[in-house]
Amino acid sequence: MNKEIFSYIDSKPSMVNKTGSLHGKSISIQPNMSVRGWPTEAGSRALERFAALEDATVVENLRTAGVTIKGSTHMSELGFGLIGDTAAQAVATGEVDVALVTDSMGEARIAASSKNLFGFKPSFGIISRYGLIGLIPSMECYGIVANTPLEITIVLEAIAGTDDRDYSMPEEVIPDFGRLEDIKTLGTCGVVAECVDMLEPSQSKAFSAALSRLDENGMAIQEVSLKDFDLFRVAHNVIGSVEASSSCGKYDSVRYGHRAQSARNWNEMYIKSRAESFGLLVKTYLFQGAYYQFEDYGTFENACRIRAQLVREMEALYETIDVLILPTRRKNDTIYDTHSIDDVYDVFDLTLPANMTGQPAIHIPGSFFGRETDPGLQFMAPRLGDMRLLSVADHLMKVREGDI
Amino acid sequence: MINGERSNCGQLNLYDVGRDVTVKGWVDALRDHGEVLFIHLRDRSGIIQVVFSPEFSPAKICERATLLRNEFCITVTGRVAKRSEGTENPHIETGQIEIMVTDLLILSRSETLPFPISEKAMVVGASVGSVESVNEDLRLQYRYLDLRRPSMQENFIKRHRIIKSIRDYLDEQGFIEAETPILTKSTPEGARDYLVPSRVYPQHFYALPQSPQLFKQLLMVSGFERYYQLARCFRDEDLRPNRQPEFTQLDIEASFIDEEYIYELVEELTVRMFKIGNIMLSRPFPRMTYWEAINSTGSDRPDLRFGLRFVEATDLFKNTTYGIFKQILYRGGCIKGINIKGQSDKLSKNVLQNEYAKQIVPGFGAKGMTWMRVIDDELESNIVQFFSEDEQKGIVKRFEAEHGDVIIMIADPSHEVVTTVLGLLRLHIAERLGLIPGDTYCPVWITDFPLFEATEEGIISNHHPFTAPDRTDFDPGDNENLLTLLSRSYDLVINGEELGGGSIRINNKDLQRRIFQALGLSDSEVEEKFGFFINAFNYGVPPHGGLALGMDRVIAMILGTSSIREVITFPKNRSAHCPLTQAPSPVSREQLMELGLLDLAGETVIPGGEKERDMVDHLSWVSRIGINEGERQHIVDAMKETARLANIINERVRDEEPIFSVTTVTNRVRKEPQAVRNPLAEKGEIFRNAPAVKGEFFKVASILE
Repeated sequence: MNKEIFSYIDSKPSMVNKTGSLHGKSISIQPNMSVRGWPTEAGSRALERFAALEDATVVENLRTAGVTIKGSTHMSELGFGLIGDTAAQAVATGEVDVALVTDSMGEARIAASSKNLFGFKPSFGIISRYGLIGLIPSMECYGIVANTPLEITIVLEAIAGTDDRDYSMPEEVIPDFGRLEDIKTLGTCGVVAECVDMLEPSQSKAFSAALSRLDENGMAIQEVSLKDFDLFRVAHNVIGSVEASSSCGKYDSVRYGHRAQSARNWNEMYIKSRAESFGLLVKTYLFQGAYYQFEDYGTFENACRIRAQLVREMEALYETIDVLILPTRRKNDTIYDTHSIDDVYDVFDLTLPANMTGQPAIHIPGSFFGRETDPGLQFMAPRLGDMRLLSVADHLMKVREGDI
Repeated sequence: MINGERSNCGQLNLYDVGRDVTVKGWVDALRDHGEVLFIHLRDRSGIIQVVFSPEFSPAKICERATLLRNEFCITVTGRVAKRSEGTENPHIETGQIEIMVTDLLILSRSETLPFPISEKAMVVGASVGSVESVNEDLRLQYRYLDLRRPSMQENFIKRHRIIKSIRDYLDEQGFIEAETPILTKSTPEGARDYLVPSRVYPQHFYALPQSPQLFKQLLMVSGFERYYQLARCFRDEDLRPNRQPEFTQLDIEASFIDEEYIYELVEELTVRMFKIGNIMLSRPFPRMTYWEAINSTGSDRPDLRFGLRFVEATDLFKNTTYGIFKQILYRGGCIKGINIKGQSDKLSKNVLQNEYAKQIVPGFGAKGMTWMRVIDDELESNIVQFFSEDEQKGIVKRFEAEHGDVIIMIADPSHEVVTTVLGLLRLHIAERLGLIPGDTYCPVWITDFPLFEATEEGIISNHHPFTAPDRTDFDPGDNENLLTLLSRSYDLVINGEELGGGSIRINNKDLQRRIFQALGLSDSEVEEKFGFFINAFNYGVPPHGGLALGMDRVIAMILGTSSIREVITFPKNRSAHCPLTQAPSPVSREQLMELGLLDLAGETVIPGGEKERDMVDHLSWVSRIGINEGERQHIVDAMKETARLANIINERVRDEEPIFSVTTVTNRVRKEPQAVRNPLAEKGEIFRNAPAVKGEFFKVASILE
């Protein structure tokens, strides 16, 4: 069982800090999050036999917080989609309390949704990515999957914070995380009409029912419009593939990773090694990126313009509402079974807006409403509104459990 | 009046004095002394002075003679006379005699000349116009006039003699001269082909031969045993000053022979050819292996007319504290030098440091040059203080240095850089100091070339794929090992110029197949390119080998001309253009139509699939990601998607939006004030994940380019 869930289990966990906020809790990471000496292959032959030489900042912080890092779960190649990913399974089966998941399109939320768990994507730039081997730098962050918003909160508190070693972190003061607010009023919640239109009738019905429950529990529902919502997916594909193509340039088979046999010269060594290093899905994505990079750079720039516009439009929505609510997903059966780029984007097209805009988002388990066709509920807040989201989620969980 | 008897101008002499003769030729020069007119009359054999004077020429003839101008073609009759004392002309063979003209016939007139043709002064000490200053294209445009010049005619007469000596000698040795096709099949090996379109098979092409290589080997299969040909060869190569798109090659091939036979045959042939230019070569020619040549002169076509041989010095510095050498040796480099004997007067500190070390050597591609002047028993240099006493003594001993010598050394991590740069320096210094003796000819055979050469595209044949290797126990998949194979080939080099080369060929089908494998050619590629040739290997191939000499070069060297164009009747200029015929030239639409070449550049590309395949191949190359079997269709499909996404993006973008970026510009800048060496690199830990390591370096494919 363990081997099906874990790609690596730490046989002698290092000394843990018994006074830390997470003492007694266990966590799983993924094999693209560096722990010195651990196999760190990121699910790809491009990192074949790679063992990290240093700890990621997040790993250092987790150790300080006293959590036991149990091991690495299986992951998709370089974290692109969820094929073979077992992070949510590790939490669902009780192997660990919390799982960290590389989130570049909504992986934590979608994985959580498949196992009735909470899945959280924090604001961009509040957790150091030093030591995280990524694919799409401007979209990705550590996502957190857990049974409760409280657990997510204390993990977030432990790992968030500035880090000089991560040059991509904005120069800003990161607010204090860790204390859930006592929610007095759920405030106003915006529903993006264009998202609801994307749902099947049965899903749409379930989503409406969920909205009614929220309404009953004191949340004001307001319909809002984001005409360009369909562009999130398109722009993510263009920008994401270009960044992937660029960041995969480092896999040259010289310093680490897989080296093909019998190359006649350097170019052949690169071409053959890289032919064998990437799986078809990632490779296809890299070719898409190479196309924009080398043949049509203007489109990449225009996609970045569209991204700026979408960020601006999303922020404008929060002038009249407190949080946004979206369905989490449209597809149930293909989450772990994506074979083309289109398949992948079909799974994540409702979660990737948060990755595009850098805003926090949380998936609240569908079982909350007890419906199988339930598309799940996803809340989004303005950037750095992480605690507001987690508090809302905590409040709603208490409502479900009858505590409130 | 004029009978059929014709004398040759250059062959008349004092014995002919008093005879009546008729000569025919061209007016080389005129000298008008009022009533008396002197003319140099020139034919192929030489020049004779003819004199028109009222004393012995009829008035009508004198009058006609006033019409004469340079290069008129005329017939003259008269009596041979000894010139009067003091009027002899030492510039011409017939300077002691002249012809007193009694009759003149103008056969053909000439326009004013574009440049002077006459090369012989009519009086002692007078100068003649030199053709050196004439634009070469003008000479080539009027090549028929240029070739009238006696010196040019001399070149071609000698060329004829040399060619004839080849035919005579090879005939003596039992060789058969045979011709091979000019219209042949394009082979993708070697240089670019000149193509000739076929009318009968539209859009199919013949190629002009780059050499008769395959045919001459087939003639060996045919049992000709000894064959030669003065073959015209064609290569569409990049232009170089001393290169012609077509050239003549003496092509020799023989069966049941070995290298020694070739050396014997070609040395004797070379001696005979050079003798025609009054150059005596002594036999046997010395031999050097490729690596000997490289390690002692830095060139595989060494100029052995002077010394300045390399001295190996790497081991002298194995414990050195001199930082630059230490670094280079640590990186596996080498150090070689030259002792320039007794030249310290001419090579001052200033010349060595400011000219050579700072300008010339970096221009040759090395980082720097170490120099030392030997003054008494001491080394003098800008860096000599960095060398220990032992090292200094070692240098003096190894280089056999004496007072007045100058030692130069090149050190570099790359052996190739050291030998190449030192080789160029060797030539530069020899030239500068006048160390190259004139009229000296130093032939040498260069042997044992590496069979293969490493390039960016992979392993290629150094010579051609039919060259026999020195051993047959190699693994065609093991590149490192393949690069250690030597070939049974040989080059004939004289005075730093490669005049020709050849090899013993493979006559075993299995061996040939493994060579093709080593070159990365699949069976189907081999079949397509060389199928007809390989087939012949099924029918009893004799052991054979041969050689080809570049005749234009050989003749230019024997005659000492400034370029090979001086020994080619109608050469192309340096731009591969013929100023005389204006070839190459456009052709008529009708000709193109007939050949089916009109729509070649048109929109005949099949729309859709093919173009996208090309795009995928291009992206595969620029992003250095190979495509495995079965993957291509997915990627082609994804390419269609990229175009669709691009359309959506570009239709809906608003130009006024800024380009989004997650970080501010300042954040992309490293915060440390200066670069810091990563401790993981310092401890060598970065090698722990490397697929291949050699010492303290990442190991990679052996060939960069």
